Amino acid sequence: MGRAHMNRHPRERRLERPALSRRAFLARSAGSALAVSALGSLLDACAGGGQASPSASGTGYPLARPSSPVSWPVTSGDVIGSGLEPEENATLQLYTWEEYIYTKVVDAFAAKYHCKVEITTFGTMNEALAKLGTGQVSFDVFWPTVDVVGKMVTAKLLRPLNHSYIGNIDQVWPQFQNPFYDQDWHYTVPYTVYTTGIAYRKDHVSQNPSALANPWSMFWNPAYKGYESILDDYREGIGLGLLKNGVTNLNTTSQAQINQAKNSLVELIAMDKIQVNDSYTAIPDDQVWVQQAWSGAIVSAPSELPKGQSPGVIGYWFPPDGRGPVNNDTMAVLASGKNPVLAHLFLNYMLDYSNAMENFAWLGYQPPQRQITATGLVKDGFIPSNLASATVLPSYFNAGYRELELSPSADLAWNNAWQEFTAGT
Amino acid sequence: MTRTAEAGRRQAGPGTRQPRWLWPTLAVPGAGWLTVLFLLPFYVVLAVAGGTVNPLFLNAVPIWNPLDWQSGYVRQVFSDLFGASAFLGPSVLRTLLYDALASTACLLIAYPVAYFVARQAGRRKGLYLVAVVAPFWVSYMMRMLAWQNLLQGNGLVNHALTVAHLITQPVNWLSGMPVTVILGLVYGYVPYVIVVLYAGLDRIDGSLLEAARDLGLGRTRTFLHVTLPLSRQVIYAGALITALPMAGDFYTNTMLSGVPTTNMIGNVISSSLSTPGQGGEGAVLVLFLLIVMLAPMIWYVRSTSRAESGDVL
Repeated sequence: MGRAHMNRHPRERRLERPALSRRAFLARSAGSALAVSALGSLLDACAGGGQASPSASGTGYPLARPSSPVSWPVTSGDVIGSGLEPEENATLQLYTWEEYIYTKVVDAFAAKYHCKVEITTFGTMNEALAKLGTGQVSFDVFWPTVDVVGKMVTAKLLRPLNHSYIGNIDQVWPQFQNPFYDQDWHYTVPYTVYTTGIAYRKDHVSQNPSALANPWSMFWNPAYKGYESILDDYREGIGLGLLKNGVTNLNTTSQAQINQAKNSLVELIAMDKIQVNDSYTAIPDDQVWVQQAWSGAIVSAPSELPKGQSPGVIGYWFPPDGRGPVNNDTMAVLASGKNPVLAHLFLNYMLDYSNAMENFAWLGYQPPQRQITATGLVKDGFIPSNLASATVLPSYFNAGYRELELSPSADLAWNNAWQEFTAGT
Repeated sequence: MTRTAEAGRRQAGPGTRQPRWLWPTLAVPGAGWLTVLFLLPFYVVLAVAGGTVNPLFLNAVPIWNPLDWQSGYVRQVFSDLFGASAFLGPSVLRTLLYDALASTACLLIAYPVAYFVARQAGRRKGLYLVAVVAPFWVSYMMRMLAWQNLLQGNGLVNHALTVAHLITQPVNWLSGMPVTVILGLVYGYVPYVIVVLYAGLDRIDGSLLEAARDLGLGRTRTFLHVTLPLSRQVIYAGALITALPMAGDFYTNTMLSGVPTTNMIGNVISSSLSTPGQGGEGAVLVLFLLIVMLAPMIWYVRSTSRAESGDVL
């Protein structure tokens, strides 16, 4: 039993911090006895970020990795027929994160296909999955993170896609037309891409992160004591500790590396009084000078600045060669939905370049559209010039480091390390 | 039947006699409310604490039959609190410390205000009461956001302190300062204490105070020997009404600190309830907090009953 803990999501505006261990949960599961007693061997088996087999992963299904792509099984009877007309007098039900889609784009879809669209929101992926798992809801379209695709397919919550309705897939980057986490895009299409970098206030931070030997170590500079924050996310937080220590496997199962990363974070509490939060306004409000931040969030930050303050006061660093944390979100059709044809058409609609970019202009999180160029987003005014580094490039998904679903035992090790840090002992 | 009760019935007379079912019936709405909104949710917490977890999605699965309840979560939380690798101790101690300091500060601030409104405000009593209650009209979240703004590096608080030459560099109030969290708690809860204290102080019979003055006591001694003892129960009530919710508070801390070294037990509960696979531990922590808070509650009830029986004022 047991699944890896779901990663936090950039739109997950949770206020609280994870602080407790999952030991109890693991201890009471049949698989956990194995997980705990054979932790060392499992960690070894998973070392190097390779794909664990269903039995070794402890999940009952394979863990997708770029080096070990997964093609999820499809039952042909679940795929809708080709050439069907959209459902009439229908209300398409979207189930998404709070403020994660521009209602104007949604309204335009409704007008085009003569239907109504209702948006229901959730705050955390955990909450959403619990609700969907009851089988008592019938939403049509959902926004799964990459790390929950496996469990959703296993639980038969997703409907396999009929590609004939989604011709716009050719508008997205090639790697998302056959992603490692869902080979042949049987169940998902991409929605947004983002990086995790360092946002900073140029009026307080004289250092240029690019000039540092290891920019991730910037947080350990006592000059910024009391004015730093890291994301309230055990994967991003421990991931920062790993990067500071030169470890680039953000799915590491090495207990030594995890402990070392945790110790580095604990140093931050004593040395810099590091804050743990996901505040979107901390940088523009001048409450924080150095912040671990998602690219999609920092793009919107200048609009939060006090009147009269130059947007140029905010900087964002992400390795120009793409060797940093990157991730993406997906859209999928739910098996329980009553309007599968409209749901397919909606996915197709959102993959269209102009619709995707209109949504991006409001959302801040970038779609992986082929027409986007390295400088185009700044030139077209989507991203301020001082935040050009927040542009996500296709090459990042070749060079970058992804935080992917972990086996329960490895996830336990990450969680324990994080809770020791957040407990503030 | 006691003599007093018998006398009471005689006084009511045959024409005004109430049917026996009347008073229990009047309690039905309250009892129903309590059952639906307290007892049932409380049972759900118990069922989650003794329950299990969905193996795929890790959400808590309650076990409704008490005979089937499991003790794994209880043992785990006990280990986290008192075991060899316990890590929750600092959070619990911080909670008790912050709670005690903030409750004391609330009383020290609220008592003079309530005393003034109850005894000195005269015809403007209503106006002052409205002023005291006014903060309730703004949501707690908005008030905390306002404090974030006031306390930030270039906020008004730092500006005022700099102008007054009390500080030379801006103080980073929002970066893990316990005093900020404690003052935030005080700010959030002090109106409750004022209202409770006012209700008690307003009920003190003025003739007792006059009698004390007539017997030669000065203002201070009248306050110390008459007013204060008579308001003891309401002080306990005020302390309790803040100490209980403060113990479970997590929002103030989150908004005004965010640094792990000021984490309270409410933060731990909140995060465990929203973390996959930890719902059961969160439920046990809720019960743990309830048990800890039962002690002052029982003490208060006993103190009140003693006061009513005349053992103490």
